[in-house]
Amino acid sequence: MLRYIARRLAQAAVIVVIVATITFVLIHLAPGDPFSAVMDNPNVSEKVRETLRAQYGLDRPVPEQFVKYVNSLAHGELGWSFSHDRTVREVLGRALPNTLLLMGVALVGSFSLGILIALIQVARRGSITDHALSGLTLFFFSMPDFWFAILALLAFTYWVPIFPVGGAVDPVMHEYMGFGARILDRLRHLALPAIALTLLASASVARYQRAALLDVLPADYIRTARLKGLTEREILRRHALRNALLPIISLIGLSFPALLTGAFFIEKIFAWPGMGYAVVNAIATRDYPLVVGGVIIGSIMVTVGSLLADLLYAWADPRLRSH
Amino acid sequence: MAAMRYAGLLCALFACGCVGTESSAGNAGGTLAISTGGDPDVLIPSLLQSVQAAQIADMVYDRLADIGDSLNILNDKGFTPRLADHWIWSADSLSIAFHINPNAKWHDGFPVRSSDVRFTIASTKDSALGSPAAPLLTNIDSVTTPDSATATYWFHARSPQQFYDAVYQLPIMPEHVWKDIALTGWRASDAAKRPIGSGQYRFVRWIPGAAVELAADTANYRGAPKISRLIWSIAPDFNTALTRFLSGETDFFEQLRPENIAEVRKHPELRTRQYHALLYLFAQFNLRDPANRARPHPIFGNRELRRALTMATDRATIVRSVYDTLALPALGPTVRAYPTTDPNLRQIPFDLPGARKLLDSLGWRAADTNGIRSRNGRPLQFTLSVPSTSKVRVRLAVVLQEELRKAGVKVDVEQLDFPVLVEKERKRAFDAAIGQWSTQPSPGAVRGSWGTAGSRTASGNNYGSYENPVFDAYVDSALSSFDHVQRKAYFTKAYETIIQDAPAIWLAEPIPTVGYHSRLQLVTLRPDAWWAHIPEWSIPADKRIPRDKAPASTAASPAQTPGQKTQ
Repeated sequence: MLRYIARRLAQAAVIVVIVATITFVLIHLAPGDPFSAVMDNPNVSEKVRETLRAQYGLDRPVPEQFVKYVNSLAHGELGWSFSHDRTVREVLGRALPNTLLLMGVALVGSFSLGILIALIQVARRGSITDHALSGLTLFFFSMPDFWFAILALLAFTYWVPIFPVGGAVDPVMHEYMGFGARILDRLRHLALPAIALTLLASASVARYQRAALLDVLPADYIRTARLKGLTEREILRRHALRNALLPIISLIGLSFPALLTGAFFIEKIFAWPGMGYAVVNAIATRDYPLVVGGVIIGSIMVTVGSLLADLLYAWADPRLRSH
Repeated sequence: MAAMRYAGLLCALFACGCVGTESSAGNAGGTLAISTGGDPDVLIPSLLQSVQAAQIADMVYDRLADIGDSLNILNDKGFTPRLADHWIWSADSLSIAFHINPNAKWHDGFPVRSSDVRFTIASTKDSALGSPAAPLLTNIDSVTTPDSATATYWFHARSPQQFYDAVYQLPIMPEHVWKDIALTGWRASDAAKRPIGSGQYRFVRWIPGAAVELAADTANYRGAPKISRLIWSIAPDFNTALTRFLSGETDFFEQLRPENIAEVRKHPELRTRQYHALLYLFAQFNLRDPANRARPHPIFGNRELRRALTMATDRATIVRSVYDTLALPALGPTVRAYPTTDPNLRQIPFDLPGARKLLDSLGWRAADTNGIRSRNGRPLQFTLSVPSTSKVRVRLAVVLQEELRKAGVKVDVEQLDFPVLVEKERKRAFDAAIGQWSTQPSPGAVRGSWGTAGSRTASGNNYGSYENPVFDAYVDSALSSFDHVQRKAYFTKAYETIIQDAPAIWLAEPIPTVGYHSRLQLVTLRPDAWWAHIPEWSIPADKRIPRDKAPASTAASPAQTPGQKTQ
């Protein structure tokens, strides 16, 4: 098992290096540079821009910049963010916990909710409830992330104002709150983006889980359980669900990229100060080091997430555990 | 002019101001939460670029003197004392001695001294810093400090706006905070994240992506401001920022769009106010061939054709379609807020039949079934580039496309990332583009953005390469004139020259509309900086809401205590 983990980690490292290199080259080849905005002022001359480019080494050939970047990476530095005027490590260090929190809550929430919906659907298969839930999951499955986020924002912060309008905390009062109130404030701000991301992600989980449950229901051991006189609820919970969970565990690994992308849109709409907020703005402002740093962290999250899902799968399936 | 300010008179006036402030200070309090679209870039006056950074820096730092609401930049008329309590011009007007207010202190307790002024100017002019403000200080030779309370500016040449150049472009920064940090390391320094200034608000905290907070400097030499706490609440998405304002989470929203006005009016506790800004938008033509700059552009190289395109454009309709009542048709490469702008500048009138006739006479005749004109087999067609991030500019491009279609001109609208558009403009590799210039109180920027000097050098901002020595001469005469009437007359001639040459279709001059909570009592919104008078805004005690009653911040910006360092 350890050898397997080491091999997967080595593969992950190669993937991260390739993705980072491609991103570095592409973002540098894109027209414009981090100081384009400087030129939107009629009083600022091109000389200023040239000085700034030279100051940050952007006047050097791209291969030279790449070597310099790799060298700083080797020293554990991700570079300097032009748009934030801070180190990339500092910017992402602040943003990453927020993204992980949002993704973590959405991951747990979406799988719990998705499995629950699938169980209800299968328990009442063919009924109006089953059809209604199928329609609902299809609705959320088809809904673009950003559109749903805007609707949720308007609906629950403006039309029915039960949640605060974005951000991770109340920017006006948070610093003046006691410890308990601060925790509550954070939770209130987390609720809406997390619910939005959970609903969007749970749709696919529910559909996968329903199909997996329907696959195992005709199996012999389910028939045996019925013959033993177990109730349908017990059969579903104790026999069908356990066996139908394996494909869903694979889905955890596959859902990491989608969750990360979804989180980016959700963060932008809900002003959630995570990696999405940082990296999307960085692309628009040609903040090269922050874009590449964000991609490196993102690809590490996806590859490690995928590895964890594989390990979970191996742990859950007794046939694989022995290997 | 060798104007002289008398210390006694000014001190008396200033004392009156202090008394007024103090009397109102008893009623001071409240929190102003401003919805804004992004973090400030950097809180160093000589390096900042973003409008958010400018707003915050203007509260934290002080200038030597502040421009008046009329935006007069001739000599020192209308300027009010700030860090300098008075100033004395030399007989030849090549130097101005500013006397520093003896009560002025930095937020860490150090007194403000003339060496701070010298340091600010010297460091900004140093090319190693790469300050965007440096080119604006070229007429300042140096600053000397005969004593700790006097900073004397020395100028290369006498100029009508030398006082403005000296005081407006830069607030003064504390030497003791910055002098030991290498210029190239300023952005990365801790001092950049916790600015120490001498303004009426002191810095409290900056939570990236969330908020910036300032607190009233109650011991300020100019008196305490009327609102105790300022918070910039950051939301990068426009709708989120607007929703925060509409739902009452914030008190002020700086740029409402036409479609938002009706929504704001549904809230009886919200108000709107318009003000004139220093911003104009235009469709700029590239007068040189992008494939070979030695040649004129095959379409826009012809003055009469450019005039025909302007004649074919109903600018009033375009402005109404895009802005409703929140803009006026642009007058030219200027704005109405300048005292030197004649609002009745002679324009090329909208005349579609006339435009068609003119295009016919130039040989551009309708040939294809769609009514698109052509000449010698070449269709009258061009690409109009526009930044995709600006909804307003995209809308302007689409409406303009339709206007010109009626005259038989085919316009392909090309939406580009902002950095891509800037790159194309820099390389002059475009046909036409929807541009905008956000200018300063001095109309002098027109020389770089529309004059020959900005066209011939690769580093110039005159992307369309419009060149007319007559225009240049009028602008130069205007800028060197000390007489307001004469100055305005020269500018009028310059603007009318360029309007008739039509290097661009002058589209719109937005009238920004702010939204604010009714408990706020605003004063004037200055065209160059609506936030300039925030220290004079107030929230009456009987109208305060819970967030107004938040305790004063305990966080302090000072990193040192006075006396730790000698200067």
